[in-house]
Amino acid sequence: MSEHKPRKSIEKKMPKAFGWMAEYQDEHGLLAAARKVRDSGYTKTDAFTPFPVHGIDEALGIKPTVLPFIVLCAGFTGLGTALLMQWWMNGVDYPYIISGKPFGITPASIPVTFELTVLFSAFTSFLGMIALNKLPKFSNPVFTNPRFDRATNDRFFLYVEATDKYYNRESVKELLGGTQPDSLDEVLEDTTPSALPQPIILGVLLIVVAGLIPAMIILNMRAGFSTAPRFHLFFDMDFQPKKKAQQTTTIFADGRIMRPQVKGTIARGQLEEQDPFYLGYDPSKMTMLEESASGVMFVSTQTPTASQDGKTDGQQPAAAPEAPKLPWIDTLPIEANEDNMKFGKLKFDTYCSACHGYAGFGDGLVHKRADSLAQGYWLPPTSMHIDRVRNQPVGQIFNTITKGQGKMASYASSLSPKERWSIVLYIRALQRSRNANMDDVPVEMRSSLNDLATQVKTNPEATK
Amino acid sequence: MATITKNFNPREIDNTEDIPGRRAPLITGNQSYASITDIVCRVAEDPQPMLWYILFGFSSMTAVSFLGLIGYLILTGVGIWGNMNPVFWAWPIVNFVFWVGIAHAGTLISAILFLFRQNWRTSINRASEAMTIFAVVCAGIYPGIHVGRAWLAFWLLPYPSLNLWMWPQFRSPLLWDVFAVGTYASVSLVFWYMGMIPDLATYRDRSKSPLRRMIYGILCLGWTGSARHWLRYEKAYTLLAAFAAPLVLSVHTVVSFDFAVSQVAGWHTTIFPPYFVAGAIFSGFAMVVTLMVPARAIYKLENLITLRHLENMNKIILATGSLVGLAYATEFFMAWYSQNQYEYFTFFNRAFGPYYWAYWTMWTCNVISPQLFWFKKIRTSTFWMVVVCIFVNVGMWFERFVITVTSLSRDFLPSSWGYFRPTLFDGLMFFGSFGVFLTLFLLFCRFLPTIAMSEVKGILSLTSHSEHGHDGSHGH
Amino acid sequence: MNLNYDKATIELPQSWRAKAPIILSAGLILLVVGLGCAFLSPAKGGDNSQGFRYLTHSYLANFVYVFSFTLGALFFILMQFLTRAGWSTSIRRLAEILMMMIPYLAILFVPIIVMLFWGSSALYEWNAKPSEMPNSVIASKAAFFLTAKFFTIRTVAYFTFWILAASWFFRLSRQQDESGDIELSLIRQKWSAPLIMIFALSVSFAAFDWLMSIDADWYSTIFGVYLFSGSMMGFFALMIIISMLLQNAGKVQKLITVEHYHDMGKFTFGFVMFWSYIAFSQLVLIWYANIPEETYWYKVRLEGNWAPFSYGLIAVHFIIPFLYLMSRHVRRNRTALAVGAAWVLFAHWYDMTFLVMPNAGSLEFFPMFGHLLGGIGMLCIFAAMFIQRASGVPLVAMRDPRLPEALSYANPIL
Repeated sequence: MSEHKPRKSIEKKMPKAFGWMAEYQDEHGLLAAARKVRDSGYTKTDAFTPFPVHGIDEALGIKPTVLPFIVLCAGFTGLGTALLMQWWMNGVDYPYIISGKPFGITPASIPVTFELTVLFSAFTSFLGMIALNKLPKFSNPVFTNPRFDRATNDRFFLYVEATDKYYNRESVKELLGGTQPDSLDEVLEDTTPSALPQPIILGVLLIVVAGLIPAMIILNMRAGFSTAPRFHLFFDMDFQPKKKAQQTTTIFADGRIMRPQVKGTIARGQLEEQDPFYLGYDPSKMTMLEESASGVMFVSTQTPTASQDGKTDGQQPAAAPEAPKLPWIDTLPIEANEDNMKFGKLKFDTYCSACHGYAGFGDGLVHKRADSLAQGYWLPPTSMHIDRVRNQPVGQIFNTITKGQGKMASYASSLSPKERWSIVLYIRALQRSRNANMDDVPVEMRSSLNDLATQVKTNPEATK
Repeated sequence: MATITKNFNPREIDNTEDIPGRRAPLITGNQSYASITDIVCRVAEDPQPMLWYILFGFSSMTAVSFLGLIGYLILTGVGIWGNMNPVFWAWPIVNFVFWVGIAHAGTLISAILFLFRQNWRTSINRASEAMTIFAVVCAGIYPGIHVGRAWLAFWLLPYPSLNLWMWPQFRSPLLWDVFAVGTYASVSLVFWYMGMIPDLATYRDRSKSPLRRMIYGILCLGWTGSARHWLRYEKAYTLLAAFAAPLVLSVHTVVSFDFAVSQVAGWHTTIFPPYFVAGAIFSGFAMVVTLMVPARAIYKLENLITLRHLENMNKIILATGSLVGLAYATEFFMAWYSQNQYEYFTFFNRAFGPYYWAYWTMWTCNVISPQLFWFKKIRTSTFWMVVVCIFVNVGMWFERFVITVTSLSRDFLPSSWGYFRPTLFDGLMFFGSFGVFLTLFLLFCRFLPTIAMSEVKGILSLTSHSEHGHDGSHGH
Repeated sequence: MNLNYDKATIELPQSWRAKAPIILSAGLILLVVGLGCAFLSPAKGGDNSQGFRYLTHSYLANFVYVFSFTLGALFFILMQFLTRAGWSTSIRRLAEILMMMIPYLAILFVPIIVMLFWGSSALYEWNAKPSEMPNSVIASKAAFFLTAKFFTIRTVAYFTFWILAASWFFRLSRQQDESGDIELSLIRQKWSAPLIMIFALSVSFAAFDWLMSIDADWYSTIFGVYLFSGSMMGFFALMIIISMLLQNAGKVQKLITVEHYHDMGKFTFGFVMFWSYIAFSQLVLIWYANIPEETYWYKVRLEGNWAPFSYGLIAVHFIIPFLYLMSRHVRRNRTALAVGAAWVLFAHWYDMTFLVMPNAGSLEFFPMFGHLLGGIGMLCIFAAMFIQRASGVPLVAMRDPRLPEALSYANPIL
């Protein structure tokens, strides 16, 4: 501010002056005047226009703004934030599989990345503009001139500030006066009281306090404890007219809400618990719940009971537990015809042969591979041809397939009961084939079998 | 409406045709800066016409009852809607996509037309931006209440939750939607507000009452119109436009991803992103025309929102409508070309299955009705353009209905087929959202500058004082 | 509207015309050598059928590469009239010359048609004999749609439409050079709208037929838009380079201003982004849904030895041009912009290679080298055709009523 000499003013208290402001009717007058002021060397100048006037930056000598660079930085920040956020949240901190998609950054991360880049850039454009313009600024000396109301309507103002180093009150007045302004006024300090009216302060305070109340209530609820019962917003969901398991009731004489099964009925889904076809034993022949029978339901797959077969020498480990005593069925519930036999072979070859071998000797590919690795803890699969298995009732073999044994897992989910029974049929045939005598061979084939036997004796190599 | 136009300004000149080399004026009636200010400010300063009060009473009642319905929905559950197995995404999603689509015109007009130097946008951009924001509000309601437990909708945001101890699933397109619509809503709001700052200052300076002056003064942040401020303001506005333009595309693209990343036949097709965007622009412009024609008649803005503006919008409607038709046809062709029996069945089922009526309504309203705009008479008749635009709005709603419902109702397993029937609540809640929309729009007209005065003046300055007519490639 | 100008400043430089035969013969030699390299690829132990696959695919990719510029030009012209644009008037004639090259380039499509009727299925697998169809899906497409005859009929239809539209617009433009009649502008404005719609349809289907059907199993509805976006990008880049070369030769000095470069730069930038948007949309939808019949198209490209090439596309076609052209200063500097435009031209070739070549076989040095030579050759032929087409035609539509507007406008802020 240049030194401000007291003037011949009639006012007692002279408000501070900030500079001169000239008013023009159109943008051309303004531009001409601005160029003139610029050429006179003034830099602390400004123009006020109702719309952005083309060329005013050049006429006033305003430098370009740095806003784009700030926005560029913000854009990259948004980009980085989005990528880091998605990588960390979904790839590191809480990774979980969704439709087999990889974790971390994938094409699926692009949309959110794009949105955040735009969000950051856009808000920076706006807030950066506000900040660089030093807005909001509600009290401005230019507003003291009542004519200035038209700066946002249809008039154009040129302002030379008193802070300019070449500023001289009289010469600036002369300079601006020479540009044919509509009016020329000195910009004076705003002398109206600056304090906000009381009611407004009160109103704002009230609003702030009222706005805090919900937040306080929520905070209190989250932090504090309450012994009061929960408030039931959804009453019909919280209290439904129904009974749950194990509850009591007055409806039935015995006071139980759970009803026993009606005699002579099979509940839906319980057929498989009743029919030997699904079980391998006949539950109706179970006179009492035997100790061992209670185990069969769940024990067999969980304890390594299959370890008894030990090595190929067939020696039985001493600790082998007895097979559960259940009323196993002895006869196949399916017909022993060629179709079922072929079907059983197909299923055996598919599901069983990998371990048990195609002939059932327990020498499948898995076994061979494991044996060749010689890791020491491999238990060979059971051969179908040892006596223990040969003497098992069909129902028990079926049960082994159904429930698994030792390392062997349950095949109930892979094979239907019919398929399992077909496999049992085929196993029976395999066992028979390894323990057959000449009586089992049809008469017309015996001669060819004899030929084969002599051939083997004379030339063992040929059989390979 | 046409008669009102003539009564108001019998000398209205036809500025829809321009002779190459001489641009027809964008605004008519020999406007000066002051007269533009006058026309726009009168909208908010004069007492509102009776019609405003009638409309406001009606729409605010609808809006309030809509809020009541939402309360009932939250207390009762989404079972009050017709959503069923297998059509889990039914009306709420259709309404969501419908409103989001409408929300596209505003920012498109503000941003993309700005980048293309289409100066005619200045008279209509403010109201369209406002419309955008109100449409996003309407759109946002539906997914919010569709989640069932609406009071937990904030779980969608990635905030460090002490209860859940987990993060949102960023590979889900539904989460992309949260980000896209959220970004779009906030950036549009900023864009709209920033555009209004100079005009709010005009409102402030014209205010007679101190209260009014103070409120507008606070809203305009003490804007003075300083040349330095304008410079940064223009830069920021341009940058915002440059960000908003791809943002507009991305929003409906992400909405289309909601459908298209799935494997549902009829949803999974790669043309969905641009096709949805074209549809959104289409419906958005139709809504702008539907609102602007009555608004300009009521508030006597015919000199600023001229027939030329409306005609240009109608041309865009025609172009995007035809694009949408092209996309329908391409989809149908590709359903055959792919030799994928599910795709083929889906499209056949759309056209000739149980929802054939929706499909053909869609074709009639979206592809055939805008073809009327080939005729200049219809394109420049305020009555007919509103009729066509209402058809377009109906058609675009049906398009979303066709996409959502027909594909879901008959998917891969015939055993899970079903037929969706909306309930009364579906209908009422769709109708109610129009109440919200109209209420907000009427309040906007009542209190905020409906036309970007400073921009119109800037264009006027450019056109009236340069020797060679307008700059740029404007006109359409 | 009487502008005083020297006719010589808006004509093609004499030196260029003299060079045309040299450029043409160089182009032909390069093309033949390139195709030969592709054919004689030693990679597969002299397997001729594999070599022929490389040859045909390389030819198609390079043909579509240069042809797409002319399609871009046609669209640009239609769009300028549709929007009654004024800014582009002074560069419009260059685009008109480009679009008038469609008839010339149509000749280059003839070998592909001949190959189809010759019965080769090296390029279009659907052209195999019914007994040798790769699978039933292709067989049912080949039943009536993808047949040599119907394919030819469609191709002829596309070309007929493009040639008719282009030559009619060009004729009116040339008439206006004589008369300056504004009616000629009005009639083009009127017809641009329906023509642009047929154009959209034709380009979409041409992309399906020519490029998408080389992988007859695969389908993507967005494919036409994909090709269109790349073509427009390439077209604007080419316009920048042609304008700069002409101005360097002392022509059209004051008619093409920095504002035009700025605008063409913006359009190039815009279409770089648009292409990325379309390419990403296609990728993410197919990647996400993970349906085998769609993903294998990307599997061929993103696995095996094409993978580095295909991932390179992201950098070549998006990141580099995006970052480079983002700056306003680059777009307003003629030389800097031309560097960017040259890169974009390369990126477009890269994209065409990405679309076509993986279908021919794995990425081998020798065929790819041939393909690159062929691409340069094709560009030379294109340049010679341009010189031929532009000879005797004023390079600016001097009597267009909107020309003053084009000379006086200025870009706002961005």
